Amino acid sequence: MSLGVVRSQAIGTSIERRGTRARLRGDTHFAADLNIAGVVTAVVLRSDRPHALIREFDPAAAKSTPGYLGVFTWRDIPGRNRFGIINKDQELLVERKVRCVGDPVALVVAETEEAAQRALSKIRVVYEDLPAVFDPEEALTDAAPRIHEKGNLLGRRVVRRGSPEEALKHSDVVVERTYTTSFVEHAYLEPDAGLAYIDHNDILVVHASTQNPHYDQKDVADLLGLPEDRVRIIQEATGGGFGSKLDLNVQGFVGLAAFLVQRPVRMVYSREEAFLATAKRHPLKIRYKSGANRDGRLTAVDVTIIGDTGAYASYGLAVTSRAAVHATGPYEVPNVSVEAIFAYTNNPMAGAMRGFGVPQMAFAHESQMDLLAAELGLSPLEIRRRNALRIGSQTATGQYLTASVGIGATLDAVASRWEEARVEKQSTRAFVRRGVGIASMIYGIGNTGMQNPSTAQVELGRDGFVTLYSGAADIGQGSSTVLVQIAAEALGLKPDAIRSVIADTAHTTSAGATSASRQTYISGNAVLDAATKLHNVILTEAAMMLKADRGDLELRDGSVFLRSDPGKGVSFKDIAERASRTGLPLKWQGYFDPDTTPLDPETGQGRPYATYAFATHVAEVEVDSLSGEVRVLKVTAAHDVGRAINPLNVQGQIYSGVAMGLGLALMEEFHPGVTESLKDYHIATAADMPAVIPIIVEDPEPTGPFGAKGVGEPALIPTAPAIANAVADALSARVYNLPMNLERVLKAGISVRSAEKEKSCQGY
Amino acid sequence: MQNSDIDLVNIQFQLNGKPIRLSVRPFDSALAVIRDEIGLTGTKEGCGIGECGACTILVDGKAITACLMLAPQLDGREVQTIEGVAEGDTLHPVQQALLAHGAVQCGFCTPGMVMSAKGLLEANSHPTREEIADALAGNLCRCTGYVQIVDAIEELAGSPRANEAVKR
Ligand code: FES
Ligand code: FES
Repeated sequence: MSLGVVRSQAIGTSIERRGTRARLRGDTHFAADLNIAGVVTAVVLRSDRPHALIREFDPAAAKSTPGYLGVFTWRDIPGRNRFGIINKDQELLVERKVRCVGDPVALVVAETEEAAQRALSKIRVVYEDLPAVFDPEEALTDAAPRIHEKGNLLGRRVVRRGSPEEALKHSDVVVERTYTTSFVEHAYLEPDAGLAYIDHNDILVVHASTQNPHYDQKDVADLLGLPEDRVRIIQEATGGGFGSKLDLNVQGFVGLAAFLVQRPVRMVYSREEAFLATAKRHPLKIRYKSGANRDGRLTAVDVTIIGDTGAYASYGLAVTSRAAVHATGPYEVPNVSVEAIFAYTNNPMAGAMRGFGVPQMAFAHESQMDLLAAELGLSPLEIRRRNALRIGSQTATGQYLTASVGIGATLDAVASRWEEARVEKQSTRAFVRRGVGIASMIYGIGNTGMQNPSTAQVELGRDGFVTLYSGAADIGQGSSTVLVQIAAEALGLKPDAIRSVIADTAHTTSAGATSASRQTYISGNAVLDAATKLHNVILTEAAMMLKADRGDLELRDGSVFLRSDPGKGVSFKDIAERASRTGLPLKWQGYFDPDTTPLDPETGQGRPYATYAFATHVAEVEVDSLSGEVRVLKVTAAHDVGRAINPLNVQGQIYSGVAMGLGLALMEEFHPGVTESLKDYHIATAADMPAVIPIIVEDPEPTGPFGAKGVGEPALIPTAPAIANAVADALSARVYNLPMNLERVLKAGISVRSAEKEKSCQGY
Repeated sequence: MQNSDIDLVNIQFQLNGKPIRLSVRPFDSALAVIRDEIGLTGTKEGCGIGECGACTILVDGKAITACLMLAPQLDGREVQTIEGVAEGDTLHPVQQALLAHGAVQCGFCTPGMVMSAKGLLEANSHPTREEIADALAGNLCRCTGYVQIVDAIEELAGSPRANEAVKR
């Protein structure tokens, strides 16, 4: 900003995250902590069949349960019984048939949770089982049972440029492999919860754990046949989301129940219900063929991606597109053929999860890079350097990159650790092998090739205080703090001096979803736009009041001073009072929509994102070749975030990503129909964590707020492939399926031990 | 939670330094009683089966998962929940350390994490990094990656304030 601001130094400072003290004291209310007089409980009767027609539904026996208030089915839904963020293919309560285990059949409301559960257990449902399909490729055959009327194909995304077939034919080396990944559970610590009531203005108020309040408002209003302004969503403190709380989980149920029984209604998922009923990460099957020449440059890739979106679309189409667009990784590839096909199955719904398919793709493209490097006799670091995108490069979608391409800088940042680790890696224990792996990533900030604007307001109150209004849900990642820092910098204020109103649809306008690592860049820009407008108004007023030239004014700590005569100034409060007398508005709206173009449906060419984040991780592991156990010793993680607005927050995101990436690499697999709870689904604990060395690289994005891009999802993406490459380095054998659990690692290790003697050409 | 055909159990215990008397059902969990009967919602439920640590409280100074403890077992014990940790406006050294290290993201695991760390330091005022990681391994956190949490406790353990942390 070139306005008259003395930098408040709000940017690049690790100020305390808003609301942390209350969280530490146990004073913060999450949705399950809310209680209001007369509140009753709703529970959902869910299908135990993967695919079946509902032949009979008999709730009669439930009605005599003490405390019973009602059993409701789809017939009781006053509005449109369809929802879903992209495809409206979900029914709040199913009408005719269930499409997966966990599908909601009826809503039971009673005075207490126990009474509701007792009533629920007395409902009799008779199903007629239908043939079911659990494999996406099978689901796309003619013989497969039809899950939705429109068929089992969710969507397809193609990215094509150059002549990949030709180029592969003439490449010096070609490597082709198939990779698979599993269903992964978000496992946010706070199970979904919500509370709804009708207020004295006849507005349905829903307090919820959510990443997407303004979307919730639309779909809840639609379900109930209400105008949007009769529904208010208030985001309560949200205990993590990672993509799953983008979906309507409890919001529709509590809203419907409160509407029908006209009492306040709460609903809190057990961990088991959160596992059963909410979205998972898409398992992908990726056939990847890539070619390179002796000079180490990639010539072409040919990739087929099969995705399983389960019974419903959720964010499946977004994952289809993003997986396809990111298939080439952070590299220049002149010839590209990518086809992503996603299908419905009778598995649990897969939706958005931190990275939208890119973590899975990175596992494939980064494994391929190491395989090519070995074929070419190059080091894994060197092959990445030779192919890394740079300013002037064209991406797979034909987009020219003009600024903030920090992939090379992240490779440089980890290079010394990479070299040291490779020297240090000799293990002293028999059967325990050390390995070092490197992996890089690119991640487009914001939604893929579509509008995804954010809005915000910044207001100077008559009391002289500034308030920020943003619809951006902070789910723990810290966006509320970062947005305040941006407003503070623009207005020459200390962040502490700014009040904020966040994610309440009655008082904020839409900031879009907290997804796609978009809030810092997109909502940050909307906030900056609003703050800049207010700044201008303040300057104009002050110039008049001080009878001074605007150019001679600066904003500092809630006042405007004359540069030429620093003793002279006027406070924001005086300015606000004057403005309110003259009727000048002091609440200004900001807007930002990244500069993108839709992708061509035939070729996938276009400008899907306005900016990209880049990262490289180096993982050092120890593999016990007898047990298959992998211990990650250290991860060095370099991230180009454009500009770190709050460096401690950025580091926190990097640690967080490494932990989740470690889980994705080694332990996390949700088996539909088998996995029930945290007993049989394991995420990384404190004892599993390696040493993590975060390195923040700042290659400023000219269109970003103070140069910032984003880091939420990028943090996770390179970890699993870096660990996979490290395991491959340790064993001289590769695992092609995530997670690399004991059996898979052991199997790879056995094949190596038998080939042990031949192993000699270790050095790249 | 009234249910006429069940014999209630009368219990009394110290909660955050104050005596409390209650009638509970024999099968109620300590967590349900603390959250729903007493109304202290700082203690969280993340799983209900002893796997996540979000419900950790201190019972006679030891970190316990309240979801697995039966309410009648509280009888005669000294119980501390997250609400009893700070002194007025002054955060406990464990809380202060977590704050300084940016170790709180969504905050859902935080109360349990504070109680486990406090329990650890009460038993061992100068734990090593490994001992800290092991002691916190029963407290899941999906947001932070644990690094800043362990850093915070490690710094505290290495400082004279560790003794202060034990005292409070
Ligand atoms: S709620 Fe007690 S351990 Fe998870
Ligand atoms: S901070 Fe979110 S679970 Fe720990």
